[in-house]
Amino acid sequence: MTAAGLQVRIRQRLPGGRQDGGAADDFTLDVSFETRAGINILFGPSGAGKTTTLRAIAGLTTPDEGRIAHGARVLFDSAARINLAAQARRVGFVFQDSALFPHLTAAQNVAYAVARADARAKTARVNELLALFHVEHAARRRPRELSGGEQQRVALARALAARPDVLLLDEPLSAVDAPTRTLLLDEIDAAQRAAPIPFLYVTHNHAEAMRLGAHLILLHAGRVVQQGRPLDVFNAPQGALAVRAVGTENLFAGRVIEQRPGDGVTVVELAGARLEAAYNALPIGTHVTVGVRAEDIIIARARLTDTSARNVLAGTIKQIILTPEQTELIVDCGIELKVSITAGTLAALDLHEGSAVFLLIKARAVHLVT
Amino acid sequence: MIWPALKVSLLVVGVATVVTAALGLALAFLLARRDFRGKELLDAVLTMPLVLPPTVTGYYLIVLLGRRGLLGAPLYRWTGWTLTFTWQAAVVAATVVALPLMLKTSRAAIESVEPKYEQASYTLGKGELETFLRVTLPLARRGVLAGIVLSAARALGEFGATLMIAGNIPGRTQTLPLAIFEAVMSGDDRRARLLALILTLVSVTAVYLTNRLSRAAGARAA
Repeated sequence: MTAAGLQVRIRQRLPGGRQDGGAADDFTLDVSFETRAGINILFGPSGAGKTTTLRAIAGLTTPDEGRIAHGARVLFDSAARINLAAQARRVGFVFQDSALFPHLTAAQNVAYAVARADARAKTARVNELLALFHVEHAARRRPRELSGGEQQRVALARALAARPDVLLLDEPLSAVDAPTRTLLLDEIDAAQRAAPIPFLYVTHNHAEAMRLGAHLILLHAGRVVQQGRPLDVFNAPQGALAVRAVGTENLFAGRVIEQRPGDGVTVVELAGARLEAAYNALPIGTHVTVGVRAEDIIIARARLTDTSARNVLAGTIKQIILTPEQTELIVDCGIELKVSITAGTLAALDLHEGSAVFLLIKARAVHLVT
Repeated sequence: MIWPALKVSLLVVGVATVVTAALGLALAFLLARRDFRGKELLDAVLTMPLVLPPTVTGYYLIVLLGRRGLLGAPLYRWTGWTLTFTWQAAVVAATVVALPLMLKTSRAAIESVEPKYEQASYTLGKGELETFLRVTLPLARRGVLAGIVLSAARALGEFGATLMIAGNIPGRTQTLPLAIFEAVMSGDDRRARLLALILTLVSVTAVYLTNRLSRAAGARAA
């Protein structure tokens, strides 16, 4: 097994009204990229073509034209009329909703994927994989008796049991609660290091992308608009399409400086501000990336005192950016925050560049990523 | 006079059910999961015996498989054997009329299995046959079982097409429904009543089983 990359170049026209509920018009997916060693993130808003790309790589849909290869092994080449069946591609797939076989137990699901071997070797391999994802206790349970997190753990174990050359993950954590998500991110990271095969991980979650990704491929409306390290892409999107695809997340480097579990609060210090986040059992001094979505910030003209928002920041509007889709303010309050508001708010609050404003941010809206 | 008919019926129903189940499943998979030209035409042709008068189905079978039939004539020329008036003819008649029930029921059962399970199996390196046997079939099993029970009941009750192509030879091709007909014609009411009772019991049991299977399948899907 090598760390050879996956080379993808596909074009596919999809008729209107696609399954993921994107635009009703015809949609052309036209992407070209190569994975690096480690975990690659395929990032973009819903309807960007992420899932279609994954399905084409796995052989679950056939692109109109293009070439997909893993190292020297060609999986699909429209010009050479090569189109390996999904079962011959050695490309693993972790589905959004696990797709565990409902008639089999967790252990049987994993055993299904283990290559033919004598019973003892097979059992050993199944147990090893269940242990890797901490679900040994669930071995005899059926999928419907498992929590969302357990289901995805078994699905990961099952996908790796087949010893694929590449593993594709389609938003595997979208149905998993937040505390489990943090644990699973660690486990996915560890599994990749142990495998060691390239992972291609689809998400539109900034925190997941930052936590896992060594390399990020930014997709928008069926095109690759930027590639690079996740933090670089998020902080410096090149061009209007990339800005739109990245979404409006404010990201800062920070450090945990205080823990108040009694209040349910973790305090982080950024260069120029302090923010209270929902409690997260990180040791004091831990370096974290702090994310605040521009849509999660409330703007006020006067200082509000009786409010549930844990963070009230005073600042001035540095810039107002008007686009047909949205109105965005850049507010300087020690740190620069992008704030997304509706056009009506701009007039109602009589906001101008230079206006003094207060920003309200709930602790829950402050995301910490280690 | 009851035992010979019962024996013939059991043999015919047994063989016809096995053939119907195997053929019906393969065809149901093709119709549920494959796209090809003439797919719906094939479905319509195979479903025809459900609505055609059985004597018409029997007539077509003679045209096709009789000694001078389209396929029957070459068969007779090469082997000197002809299907008509054999117990195998009764099997063919029962299979043809039971197949639509197997096909409809198991096609619906297979279509109700979400394709993602089959796709997951493919990405785990399993081929189509293995996937069908280990994933699709277990998930569709209640509908498939219901189809088998219905087919067996239909095969047991088959009369018209059987009479046309297999005749009514006691001990060889005379099945229970044919025996009832003969009993009534010859005024043997006692025998007719007994035979009718047996067939009624079997039919009621089949419907009961089918309902239970499809209810359980529905409850599981919900």
